[in-house]
Amino acid sequence: MPVKKNEPVNIHLPGGMNIPPFGIHQYLALIIVAVSLWALGSVWMGLQATGQWVGAWQQQVVLHVYLPQEHKKELKALQENLEAVDGVQKVSYVARENSAEWMQQWLGGSQLNVDTLAERLPETLLVHLLKHEENHFVIDDVRDVVKRTHADINQDELKLLSMRDILNKIEQFVWFATVLLILAMSLIVSNTLRMILLARADEVHLMRLMGAKEWFVRMPFVLEGMLLGATAGLLAWLLLWPWVWGSSEWLADSAIELHIASLLFPLLAGGAFLGCLGALIATARLVSPDSMENA
Amino acid sequence: MSERKNIIDMQQLMLRYPTGKVALSGVNLSIKQGQFVYLTGESGAGKSSLLRMFYGGFRPTSGQLHVQNTDMRKANMGTVRTVRRRTGIVFQDHRLLFSRTVFENVALPLRVQGWNKDRLIPRVRKVLEFVRLEDRLWSYPEALSGGEQQRIAIARAMMATPPVVLADEPTGNLDEDTARHVLNLLMGLNQLGTTVIMATHDLHLLKSHPGRIVQLHAGALVEDSYAR
Repeated sequence: MPVKKNEPVNIHLPGGMNIPPFGIHQYLALIIVAVSLWALGSVWMGLQATGQWVGAWQQQVVLHVYLPQEHKKELKALQENLEAVDGVQKVSYVARENSAEWMQQWLGGSQLNVDTLAERLPETLLVHLLKHEENHFVIDDVRDVVKRTHADINQDELKLLSMRDILNKIEQFVWFATVLLILAMSLIVSNTLRMILLARADEVHLMRLMGAKEWFVRMPFVLEGMLLGATAGLLAWLLLWPWVWGSSEWLADSAIELHIASLLFPLLAGGAFLGCLGALIATARLVSPDSMENA
Repeated sequence: MSERKNIIDMQQLMLRYPTGKVALSGVNLSIKQGQFVYLTGESGAGKSSLLRMFYGGFRPTSGQLHVQNTDMRKANMGTVRTVRRRTGIVFQDHRLLFSRTVFENVALPLRVQGWNKDRLIPRVRKVLEFVRLEDRLWSYPEALSGGEQQRIAIARAMMATPPVVLADEPTGNLDEDTARHVLNLLMGLNQLGTTVIMATHDLHLLKSHPGRIVQLHAGALVEDSYAR
């Protein structure tokens, strides 16, 4: 059907930096990759929240050691023995006056006198550990020292420390899963582009016969893969927001502040990278008949 | 009148397929710039293989082949690309892209050379005027008749003003009148200075459209004459 000269026409020139229009295959791949990236983003966001919850962001690990007042005479020896443990940075004594002051502040404007209560508090030592990978050995040593006296360690703090170890292991596993998923998603993108390549085999062949450079022929597919991956990354990031909104009350109660913006770049860049990787896999062997490129 | 240069030159040209079949053997031939050459012969004589070698579709197994001053045996991919950019190709099945408009099809040879659409539109219009299909600029090939599709293919082949146009049985699927019209276009192109090499079975066309006749038989050159 002829069209008048000035009638607007949507021109899609092939090759080079021109990205072809998306079809059903690309939309399907987009959804699959977006859901996978969303799952990954959710796991990383969960790690971020748990990390904050267990205080993994803290530069220094501190343990409270309590010694009942009736064994106060053991305090000096205990402090010295704790300072001697390899991995302990320092051991400081928390004066009872400071505890009383803190308790008074904690009770706020009430007129209660905390002196009587403070007098019953155990002697408290703050054990500052150097932050390093083998903290659990140091903790065992601290525990041994404490066991030899009548003192006790704050059990909640120990639980949090063990949580940190578990979190570190989970993080390693999540890295492994991330790499695996990126490879799997690259193959999905590659498979999609392969179908598009088959559909455009004639076009590729013609362009080669007309002397097109290889980058000119392959670039649209690489750009398409990158665009597909980056769009999936953006979608995945947007899909993380319902998590944040749904758990906002719990997050506020737990004093957790999620930095969801920090996940935008990794998801976008990761998506673009896996899309590019998929495109390179798909176009690695781009064969055309009667063409020396095959030789 | 000055002697015209050879645009294609071959000596003892041989082509053997990976299967072992010999497609061409001992062909000696020179084609001067501006000639209109018919490649004739039975099916399997080697016409299409010879045409393919002219644009780097096959590399010669032995012998010499120079196309547009390029040694096709030693040419690397970059050099072959340069030859292809200076060669127009018309196929029997025209090989138009049916998902693309006439404009996008015809623009392809210059598109791969980096031309943008603003430069391409006037050039495509001009070329379509030559084949008298300027009103079909934004049509899709499926809306055109067989003859019109082949004229579009000729327009595409001449788009980059190549010194050589290779036509592999361009009239093979057309009725006699349409075939004559397509041949008129190729002749017109030749009169503009383009060397046209056309593989054909339609020997009756040679009476109305004279040219040099190169006949192949079983991969060997058996006749080289002029029909007037």
